[in-house]
Amino acid sequence: MTLLEQYRLLLALAIGVVGSVFCLYSLARAIGLTRQEPGKDVPASSGALSRDPVWGRYHARYYGYGLLFLAFDMEMAFMYPWAVVYKEVGLVALLDMGVFLAILFLGLLYGWSQGAFRRQ
Amino acid sequence: MTVASVLLALLGSTWLLAVIEGWMTTGRLSPAAPLFSGLAHLGRESILPRSPDRVFFEAAPVLLLVVGVLGMAVLPLAPDLIIADLGTGALFINAALAYVLVAVIMAGWGPDGAYAMIGGWRFLGQLIAYSMLIVMPITAVAMRAESLLNTAIVGSQAGLWNIVYQPLGFVLFFIAAMALAFRAPFDLPTAEGELGGGVDAEYTGVRLAVLRLARLTLVVTLASATTVFYLGGWHGPLLPPWAWSLVKTLAVAVSMLLVGHYLPRIREADLMRWCWILGIPLALVNIIVVGLLILVVP
Repeated sequence: MTLLEQYRLLLALAIGVVGSVFCLYSLARAIGLTRQEPGKDVPASSGALSRDPVWGRYHARYYGYGLLFLAFDMEMAFMYPWAVVYKEVGLVALLDMGVFLAILFLGLLYGWSQGAFRRQ
Repeated sequence: MTVASVLLALLGSTWLLAVIEGWMTTGRLSPAAPLFSGLAHLGRESILPRSPDRVFFEAAPVLLLVVGVLGMAVLPLAPDLIIADLGTGALFINAALAYVLVAVIMAGWGPDGAYAMIGGWRFLGQLIAYSMLIVMPITAVAMRAESLLNTAIVGSQAGLWNIVYQPLGFVLFFIAAMALAFRAPFDLPTAEGELGGGVDAEYTGVRLAVLRLARLTLVVTLASATTVFYLGGWHGPLLPPWAWSLVKTLAVAVSMLLVGHYLPRIREADLMRWCWILGIPLALVNIIVVGLLILVVP
């Protein structure tokens, strides 16, 4: 199977899943419709309706983690190609990535010392 | 043919898992319960909240199901029983699983309910905690296999399974997989006790049935990924390869349910703290140890 065929198959699979869920919804609709009654469509909020939509801004109390996460996530993009050729390249690959990881790890320690791992 | 067998295996495992989950929570072993429950959900009203973001609300359960199925599609059950043996399979499964976050936040945002929204945002924090522990152990697995082909990864474990070769990676991946599937000790976005169901709360009827199916499918997919990456995939004596894959997948999935059954829910702040001050350094150690092992032991 060529690469393009594989991705075509995966796309077909995704469309197939969406289609079968749609069939299920249609079946449920054919069995019976939802009766419109007052108060039925209130979202669960312990009885008290919120005045505004809940789509407001939230305080991300973990932003220290968030910044470190960005650094680590970028690093992973380099790790995968490196992992594939690792055995072939040998010790040089380990040292190269070792330096890279050591810098990241120092960053982690520095972040820790500055209180990045606290809910702010 | 392959597609049908893999999907059948996925559906069958999901059904078996639902039976076992019911057995653990109610104490009754009834094989027909998931079927009846699904049919009952079809007949129930599926209520739309009063001011929803309709697109997000409808898309979330479907997206979660698509993620589970696509993840399973790149994992081999036997040497030739795989839907798409992608050259970047180990990376593709990461990419697919990243959409779990998108689906959960959409489920939280969609219904315009306070509890659902809190659950959705909580999962964003949970992602920052678990996601490195999914990605880093897979790197160490790829280092040993010298490939991102999932069949090559299983092939590299013919002599010695990765659970013995890199036990640290297995433990980290197992915990992170449970956090990714938001199963019991990490069920922060649904949290029945504090959020009244969280992202599940506003879903009723057929939409809830699809959401529940998707969540169990995700558990099966992650258990299958654990099997492929750490438990030697289809390798094993006597039984045919596909049977070994299924047995191991189910064993991992059931152990995930069991672990969750006996542990209390962890706080989000604690989860993030432990993952970053303990989990990620250990994952780095795992990569270095595996790197040295590969160089020293040919």
